[in-house]
Amino acid sequence: MDTAALIARESFVERSARARVAGLLDEGTMRELLDPFERLRSPWLGLQDIVTQADDGVVIARGAIDGTAVVCAAIEPAFQGGSMGEVGGAKIAGALELALEDARAGKPVIPVLLLETGGVRLQEANCGLAAIAEIHAAIVALRAHVPVVGVITGPVGCFGGMSIAAGLCSELIVTREARLGLNGPQVIEQEAGIDEFDSRDRPMIWSLTGGAQRHACGLAETLCNDDAREIANAVSRAVAAPAREPARLRDIDTHLARLQAVDPAWRAEAAWVRTAFASKQDENGSPA
Amino acid sequence: MTERKWTTRRDDKRARMDSVASWLDAKVLARERVPDALHALIRSGDRVIAEGNNQKQADFLSRALADLDPERVHDLHMIQPSVGRPEHLAVFEKGIARKLDFAFSGTQSHRIGQLMMDGVIEVGAIHTYIELYARLFVDLIPRVVLTAAFKADRDGNLYTGPSTEDTPALVEAAAFSGGIVIAQANEIVDDVSQLDRVDIPGSWVDVVVEADKPFYIEPLFTRDPRHITDVQIFMAMMALKGIYAEHGVMSLNHGIGFNTAAIELLLPTYGEKLGLRGKIAKNWVLNPHPTLIPAIESGWVETVHCFGTELGMENYVAARPDVFFTGADGSLRSNRAFCQLAGHYAADMFIGSTLQMDPDGNSSTVTTSRVSGFGGAPNLGCDARGRRHATPAWANLAPGADPMARGRKLVVQMVETFQAGLKPTFVDQLDAVTVAERAKLDLAPVMVYGDDTTHLLTEEGLAYLYKAESLEERRAMIAAVAGVTPLGMNADAATTRRLREQDKVRLPEDLGVNRTEATRAQLAASSIADLVDWSGGLYEPPARFRSW
Repeated sequence: MDTAALIARESFVERSARARVAGLLDEGTMRELLDPFERLRSPWLGLQDIVTQADDGVVIARGAIDGTAVVCAAIEPAFQGGSMGEVGGAKIAGALELALEDARAGKPVIPVLLLETGGVRLQEANCGLAAIAEIHAAIVALRAHVPVVGVITGPVGCFGGMSIAAGLCSELIVTREARLGLNGPQVIEQEAGIDEFDSRDRPMIWSLTGGAQRHACGLAETLCNDDAREIANAVSRAVAAPAREPARLRDIDTHLARLQAVDPAWRAEAAWVRTAFASKQDENGSPA
Repeated sequence: MTERKWTTRRDDKRARMDSVASWLDAKVLARERVPDALHALIRSGDRVIAEGNNQKQADFLSRALADLDPERVHDLHMIQPSVGRPEHLAVFEKGIARKLDFAFSGTQSHRIGQLMMDGVIEVGAIHTYIELYARLFVDLIPRVVLTAAFKADRDGNLYTGPSTEDTPALVEAAAFSGGIVIAQANEIVDDVSQLDRVDIPGSWVDVVVEADKPFYIEPLFTRDPRHITDVQIFMAMMALKGIYAEHGVMSLNHGIGFNTAAIELLLPTYGEKLGLRGKIAKNWVLNPHPTLIPAIESGWVETVHCFGTELGMENYVAARPDVFFTGADGSLRSNRAFCQLAGHYAADMFIGSTLQMDPDGNSSTVTTSRVSGFGGAPNLGCDARGRRHATPAWANLAPGADPMARGRKLVVQMVETFQAGLKPTFVDQLDAVTVAERAKLDLAPVMVYGDDTTHLLTEEGLAYLYKAESLEERRAMIAAVAGVTPLGMNADAATTRRLREQDKVRLPEDLGVNRTEATRAQLAASSIADLVDWSGGLYEPPARFRSW
């Protein structure tokens, strides 16, 4: 790559949630819902001596991408590790439910979810989990009407209940710096031991949960470089696509058969995982 | 009159070598013989160097040293550029060694501080590198040197390659004074033709042994751009305008911190916008910092001479021989002694950071819980009084038109007014003073003295300390940029105004540096992955820095 191109390249990962959204939307169309001036803060963090944020770390904005009406929900990676609390979670769930009403009324608004989150905010426990469940339900309902677009770029990645939300999207866009997994590395190490999963072994972690691996396994549709323009183009293609159920969500039996083939005594390795995901179900219902 | 014997050192060496001769095949010692050989070659009270460099560590031999029997070998006087391995301190705890002269203690800084205060280690002095090498030829002549190489042949020729670092200085001091040189190598080959090149001739080396595993090397100079803050970028912008451009700094050394990494990453962007390419920062004395890659690739950097290497930069450096000093084999040749000399006599500027600064401008990274030593900073961060050549930047600091007026090296301290944990950088008295009292040091371990510091840059502004006309004025200039630290709160507003009018202190607005422009978007590379892209895939970052 020539030096001028390297200097001109703008990182998406670097951007704040608000700047990410602004960069995706058509110029002049961004209209934030429940913006920071509404001062909708977490009622729980203050009680635990944690400084709150006036938008609870979630940006919701209406606007257009190539003229198509969209609603963007972006989680701010720099606030509390992108954790999902009651307020932030409800903002996303509410935005999705409004989009569902619009879709049912024949005025489609395409949801775009920018997911940088360690999962539920531990300080808010069940309140956050309840919101995450609502988000899941809304995505499933929306998918019948419109494409639901998910984007994970890093630096946080997408973990916990929100990794399920990512998995439910019609199209998932990732970078190689992104990570997608139900449990984060430290949690796995704590639960399974350092021999099973060394949370400081960064190449190993990315080899299993990184964007390139998830893409190679078919768990994400699009792999992009950390280039704001490239990611914006991928989002705009996904927004323009028809409503659909992605392949990875259709064939549940194949996935179950793949799971059956896993011996938990093995230490998972990237190449083996790719092979397992490449296996197709044969006629007897077991993986080939 | 009895005839004086002139060969006692040589005779003593011969006797020691004779006692191990039967274990040597040419100069090769079998690994399992190392404990016996060290017991035979090292005597109580010897001055011993266990090569601990900034990066490369003769760790196989230092582990063997720590396993010596303290009944047989004790009271060693260790001389170490860097105390970087746990076993470097274990030799004191076990009673094998008693006295230590060193320069840097990076990763062991907390433990060494404790052992000094507890009286377990008797410290001679905390040196700057080149000062320690100098003493190897005067009053700290070593008896035994334990060194490390990538490869050796059976005759003792060593290939130290990119990690040559301190080896030539250390080996020379022993090899030509009747001392014994023992080298560990990752690999021993039969013939010199199988070495990539010869960095140390075999006749300087007495014993070679193949290590159980490759020598440890610390990636000390890799700074992940991801961690550079907007404040550091803001200060970097002030530095480029108010110092680099102001004085036309051509040759320089950068410290190891994120502040200067930010400057390196602003050259191709902000520096380019200011039209400074080719006018500043062309000749560097610097380790191969990964964060320098964008500046090199965009044509800012003419040459770099290196103290040591940096893990992962090997292929990149080898592919840029116009910029880096490389051998006939293509790999980097580092040499800390020469590079420190270059930084002392031939560099326009040193710019680095500190943990504490006192009201007079003295600064130190030593705190009561951490004795890190300073490595090269005291040497790079001082005026070269013996210098007799002028460069524009150096001459620019000369006072007035006196025909005898001399220029000065720019010595810049670039610090935020508060450290981590909201500790003020500016303190009434350096912790170094307390440490000197408790550890019975002759000198308080000061890194850079106030009278050598020509510029102080904080996020509040830039003080041109070399323009101070009195100690009192220097203090006022420091206070003027000390922000809301206790020292800064005592700054007199009228004095600060006068200092600004006299161009002795410049605030960001005086420099035309806009706070809102100081964002990470200014960085030519914002992650390690970006640096890999800039290097065309030649830079191979260590695993711990990867996030893909």
